[in-house]
Amino acid sequence: CKEDFLTVTPETQLSSATFFKSEADFVQAVNATYAPLRPMFNDRAWKLQELHSDNAYYARNILYGAVDPTENLADFAVPTANGVTANDNVLQQYRLNYQIIARANQILTTIDGVEFAEASKNNLKGQALFLRAFAYFDLIRLFGKVPLHLKPVPNREEAALPLSTADQVYAQIEEDAKAAAALLPKKATQEAGRATSGAAKTLLANLYITQKKWPQVEPLMKDVVNNDTYQLMTDYSEAFSNTTSNKNNLESVFEVQYMEGAAGFNGNFMYQFIPSPVTIDELKPLTGTSNTQPTSQESNNIPTPNLIRAYETGDKRKDASIGYITLSTSLRTDKKFPYIKKYSRTHSLHGNTGQNWPVYRFAEVLLFLAESLNEQGKTAEAATYLNRVRTRAGLPATTATSQTDMREAIFKERRVELAFENKRWFDLTRTGRVKEIITAYGAEVKANPAAYYYPDGAVPPPNAFTVLDDYYGLPAVESALTPHF
Amino acid sequence: LLTSPAWTYAGGKNPGLEKKSTTTAPLAVDVMGTVTDESGTGLPGVNVVVKGTTQGTTTDAEGKYKISVPDTRATLVFSSVGYLKQELVVGSQTSINVKLSPDDQTLSEVVVVGYGSQLKKEVTGAVQTVTAKELKDIPVSQVTQKLQGRLAGVQINQATGKPGQGMSVRIRGQLSVSAGSEPLYVVDGFPITGSIGAINPDEIEDISVLKDASSTSLYGSRAANGVVLITTKRGQAGKTSVSFNAFAGVQQVPEKGRIKMLNAQEFAQFKKEYYEDDAKPVPAEFQNPAQYADKDNDWFGALLRTAPIQSYNLTISSNTDKARTSIVAGIFDQEGVILNTKYTRYSLRMNTDYDVSDKVRVGFNIAPQYVFDNTPRTDGDRGTGILFNALHTWPVMPIRDANGELTKFNTFPSSTGNIYNYPNWVRAATELVNQNKQTKLLSNAYLQYSPISGLRLKSTINIEFENNKFFFFNPSTATSAMNVPIPTTAVSIRQALENVGWLNENTATYNRSFGDHNFELLAGYTNQRFRQEFSRIQADTYADDRLPTVQAALNINRGGTQNGVNDWTLTSLLSRLNYNYKGKYLFTAAIRRDGSSRFGSNNRWGTFPSVSAGWVVSDEAFLQGTPEISFAKLRASYGIIGNNNIGNYTQYALINNTVNSVFGSTVATGAAVTTLANPNLGWETTRQLDLGLDLGLFNDRIQFTYDFYTKRTTNLLYAVQIPQEAGFGTFWDNIGEIKFWGHEFAVTTRNTEGKLQWTTNANISFNRNKVLELAPGIDRVYGTFHITQVGQPFGMFYGLVKDGFYRSQEEVDSSPIVPGRSAVGTIKFKDVNGDGIITNGGDMDDRTIIGSPFPKFTYGITNNLSYGKWDLSIVGSGSYGNQLWVRHLYSTANLDGVFNMVEGVKDRFRVQSIRNADGKVTSRTVITEGKGMYGATNEGGNYTGLERDWNSSHFLADASFFTIKNITLGYTFGKLQKFFQSARVYASVQQAYVFTKYWGGPNPETSAQADGGGDGGNLSQGVDFSNYPVPRTYTIGVNLNF
Repeated sequence: CKEDFLTVTPETQLSSATFFKSEADFVQAVNATYAPLRPMFNDRAWKLQELHSDNAYYARNILYGAVDPTENLADFAVPTANGVTANDNVLQQYRLNYQIIARANQILTTIDGVEFAEASKNNLKGQALFLRAFAYFDLIRLFGKVPLHLKPVPNREEAALPLSTADQVYAQIEEDAKAAAALLPKKATQEAGRATSGAAKTLLANLYITQKKWPQVEPLMKDVVNNDTYQLMTDYSEAFSNTTSNKNNLESVFEVQYMEGAAGFNGNFMYQFIPSPVTIDELKPLTGTSNTQPTSQESNNIPTPNLIRAYETGDKRKDASIGYITLSTSLRTDKKFPYIKKYSRTHSLHGNTGQNWPVYRFAEVLLFLAESLNEQGKTAEAATYLNRVRTRAGLPATTATSQTDMREAIFKERRVELAFENKRWFDLTRTGRVKEIITAYGAEVKANPAAYYYPDGAVPPPNAFTVLDDYYGLPAVESALTPHF
Repeated sequence: LLTSPAWTYAGGKNPGLEKKSTTTAPLAVDVMGTVTDESGTGLPGVNVVVKGTTQGTTTDAEGKYKISVPDTRATLVFSSVGYLKQELVVGSQTSINVKLSPDDQTLSEVVVVGYGSQLKKEVTGAVQTVTAKELKDIPVSQVTQKLQGRLAGVQINQATGKPGQGMSVRIRGQLSVSAGSEPLYVVDGFPITGSIGAINPDEIEDISVLKDASSTSLYGSRAANGVVLITTKRGQAGKTSVSFNAFAGVQQVPEKGRIKMLNAQEFAQFKKEYYEDDAKPVPAEFQNPAQYADKDNDWFGALLRTAPIQSYNLTISSNTDKARTSIVAGIFDQEGVILNTKYTRYSLRMNTDYDVSDKVRVGFNIAPQYVFDNTPRTDGDRGTGILFNALHTWPVMPIRDANGELTKFNTFPSSTGNIYNYPNWVRAATELVNQNKQTKLLSNAYLQYSPISGLRLKSTINIEFENNKFFFFNPSTATSAMNVPIPTTAVSIRQALENVGWLNENTATYNRSFGDHNFELLAGYTNQRFRQEFSRIQADTYADDRLPTVQAALNINRGGTQNGVNDWTLTSLLSRLNYNYKGKYLFTAAIRRDGSSRFGSNNRWGTFPSVSAGWVVSDEAFLQGTPEISFAKLRASYGIIGNNNIGNYTQYALINNTVNSVFGSTVATGAAVTTLANPNLGWETTRQLDLGLDLGLFNDRIQFTYDFYTKRTTNLLYAVQIPQEAGFGTFWDNIGEIKFWGHEFAVTTRNTEGKLQWTTNANISFNRNKVLELAPGIDRVYGTFHITQVGQPFGMFYGLVKDGFYRSQEEVDSSPIVPGRSAVGTIKFKDVNGDGIITNGGDMDDRTIIGSPFPKFTYGITNNLSYGKWDLSIVGSGSYGNQLWVRHLYSTANLDGVFNMVEGVKDRFRVQSIRNADGKVTSRTVITEGKGMYGATNEGGNYTGLERDWNSSHFLADASFFTIKNITLGYTFGKLQKFFQSARVYASVQQAYVFTKYWGGPNPETSAQADGGGDGGNLSQGVDFSNYPVPRTYTIGVNLNF
């Protein structure tokens, strides 16, 4: 009785004492676990995984004096010492991933203690497992070693865990993704936009590819190709959503969901990718908004000449992926800039877009399958899947016949098919080709800064292309709070 | 003459012990006699009452009385203020002469302490008492204002002059990071929530301030900030009286202390020089400053007015033998000295005690009140506070147009250097509504049963009810915000708040003496619950300002519309043992165990023990031969107390249920845990040691009290940063340690006796603190103007050290500078880290601790004089050695001429720029070095910004002050006709004069953080935003006794 009198829980705010008691609670908890994906893909992931590659560069505005953490990523000059970096993009990406993990952990440790319909429970557990695996897969590929939290942190003392090795984290991702694939429904029966068994299998295949466990990839991807409903969209540009339509289409395996409008679920990454300074008249054809405003920030994720060259002649994807804009107020003599066209979709209001971010597409499933077959020596069979992708792009069948040539063909195909989809950096790291490719790319930038969007007379900073590690340093701010790194 | 045991002293602790008369046949008897004092002089005005009846009389000028009693068994009760009451059985006597003994202050004064009262002589803790008598006639709305200057070790500041608001009370310097510093207020045994600002001071009989751990530990987890016990007026035994007190007066803001700003002509002159010095063309508007000579606009002055204040209190005290009632009815009405500000209070209190039998007593208190106030957003930083905004509005902008109408809105072309639009602040003050209506009810009831001699069982029920209705309306025609065009979007906010609290206390007290061994044992069990429900509706966009209803708004602002509940419970066990031997060796031990809903489930109960001892040295034989020492007592106490202001639900992992997601085109509500649970969360713990000395000299003509204390607060409530791999950023935990120590001196002297009576009360306190520990790995926390650093006092002012100005190009070339920004005539800072360059930011820059918001000492002095029928009292209160951060200078001394400026800017450093044909500055020559306070204006922002934007000692001002808080001169008439027992008239000046060198604003007591709450809390004390000035008040008043 006395303890009852002293137990007073907040009535107008839910607390852990009153939450996680019903199916509806877990539905809400799972919904919230997706939420960090929006800022992650809108603001951070592309900086660490695409701008930080030979696919995209950063167009400087020399009137801005301060060194930008984003600029450092494009320049392969992220200041790193003793395994940590103060780069803010690195910090935010790290934190957003752990937000997903903490929310998933909370669900996974409590859901079995609550009775409700098994189908619903399996679906919710599957989503939480998928998201946890997804976040850890991102973290381990970025950092090489991270703390592995699988339960909610109970107190301040246990907030920090020692770093786990890549193998330990891979094992957990495998376990989670496998379980998710078994628990989740197929896309046909899942609410659009949520994780599906197909997405979980693709994630698991991606893990095996990273681990070079080729025989395990093949049956997984064949299962998705043969037993699920995915298709390539007829036209490459239709693979990407508009701001209000064509979302989660037949080709989509997993997308980060945005919604145009004032409710706060919108993105604006398209704006971050538009070169500037841009005037209203120059911008309006791209956005079609009623209240277009000029922008004068620096320009991110500008397609590189190096990437543009990689498209074969006749590749329809080139024009679908890359457009050109002329900036009359640019400080460069050449005022023409390429920009990422595949995400450029008209919408209503300036700075408020709703197109989804493609995380896994069926085209990549086919390429995963092709790669796994080729690595197992089944080069001819690999070609059939590669060619499905090439055919849609308007290209002839591949000429590669040897395993080595096919490996290179798939590597190149991935670069152009999946350009600006945050695949390039991890393709470089998992194939061990960072130093080879980025060193050459860096030499190209330094040799011809004007071609890499530097204003006349400006050159790359002296520390450009000096930090070519496969992994980022762990965030310095976090390092200060944990004894483990 | 007097035969024991027919009489007994009253006013002691055992009201049930009064002896009953025996039974004989009734027979009316006339009794007469004379009442005298010890020297045999007749005492006038002594109450003589037949016990158990309303029958009574008073003695005449010679002390004679005559009364008819029903029979010889009757008991007469003789009482008079300042004398011990006597009771006598009439018996066969027809002439009874009585000699009354004075109620010696030191020996028999009873002070209210936690859960009881104690002879002052036997108190072993640090307790200071103030009686209502000492506080009367002070024309203010809040009792805390009346206490300014009276209490040693208690710093009471009036941070803002808003009517009915703005008092900050800090006992023994106590503070914490995030758990507040206001003491616990206990009204008639009921620890109320919040402050006592709204209680009618005329209802109060006396106030005890409990400062050390032994006196406060019975309040356990709420005692760390000290405890203030308020006892309200009760019916006086043996006395029926009616009195009426009233005062009326006017308030105004004295000229001294108003911030002197440039007038219109001076402002135009500044602007002219600004362009001339920089070798740039002067805008047409400022080429002829003399044109503004008769067009000045004093925006600050336009908000001020002379305002009336009035107060009426009727007090009725009635007594029969069995029932005693006190009724206080009051009306207080204060218009503020800023337009449209007002505070009105209607209050009633009725306290009744009824003796059901010799063994059973019941009592009821009920105190309803209604308070209305309106204060249209006067205080605050630039952009939000009307006063701050008015100060820096250009005086060339007209308050009224050619027709005498208030302008709506003022601006100047950007070619004149204006970048803002200025709404009319007079409209803001008069048209904005920011009102609160509070209905409050405090009520207590008790039942007391004394089954056997010495044992008292008491059960109380206390109820606190409060209803607040807040209404804000910003019409389309005015706004308190800067740079908002008129018409603006009309906004309304309605907020309703309901507090209901109850407390049940059950105590048993047992007194027993064995020979010279005297014991008192207290034990109790209490339960308290508090619940607050609030709701808030914010609506905007009105078609018609006359109808600001919710339904007339075109938009409901969802972010500003919410409701919630705050709820807490507390269960406690408490016990105290008082023991003394011959009243000479004193010992007290107390303990309270608190179980609180706020504490984590693993840490639900806290134990707060204390011990104390006292030694009345003057009772020892070895001092008997020293008649100069009339009283001497040594005290020592140690105990542990807590602060439970840790939030109601901080221990829980709260769920944010607006973490939504979208799937396809469907929004799905999401919920995520956003804070970590801390089931171990607990109170802040303070361990306090107190050593004290009480001394009476020369028959108590000099009474002196000294206390030394040292305390440590640990387990501070703190939002500790945690690694975000946990999914969260912070974790509320008990962490860190602050040490406090200090000395308090209080002295009371009766300087003269006889016809001219003059007494002086003075006190002085030295409070210090030092941060010993913050969170692991954290040695400093930065505030906007402050730093809290391990090894230093809490929340010190932090910034660069101003070292004058660069007086020549040679000095610029040879000194540490801010590259690209330092030039001739710009502010020069000390290169504290010695790296040859001035840097501002990071842990290793040139910033350092530059000042302290804490006084070196605070003091107060009160003089009371009476001569015949005249009386005079003067109360003063002061503070020495603290600084204030003059926040408004960043606008009002912005050398870019964007705002109006303080008058001192006229004496700035001036430099003449020489420009070449391309307009480039080729050289700068000094015109005048000025008075050293303000730098040169040339080339604007890049140079002047250092003085404005970089926090430095430039902004610090000495805020030492001594304020004559009150002067009252009174005259007492004798018995006036048949209606008045006595009558007194008086004249009073409140906030009579402030002696200070503080130049930053009108109020050296100000602080943006009045109560440790709000933005930055205790981490940002002592910041002057130019708040509502404290007015000087002139009143005349009467005290009438019927």
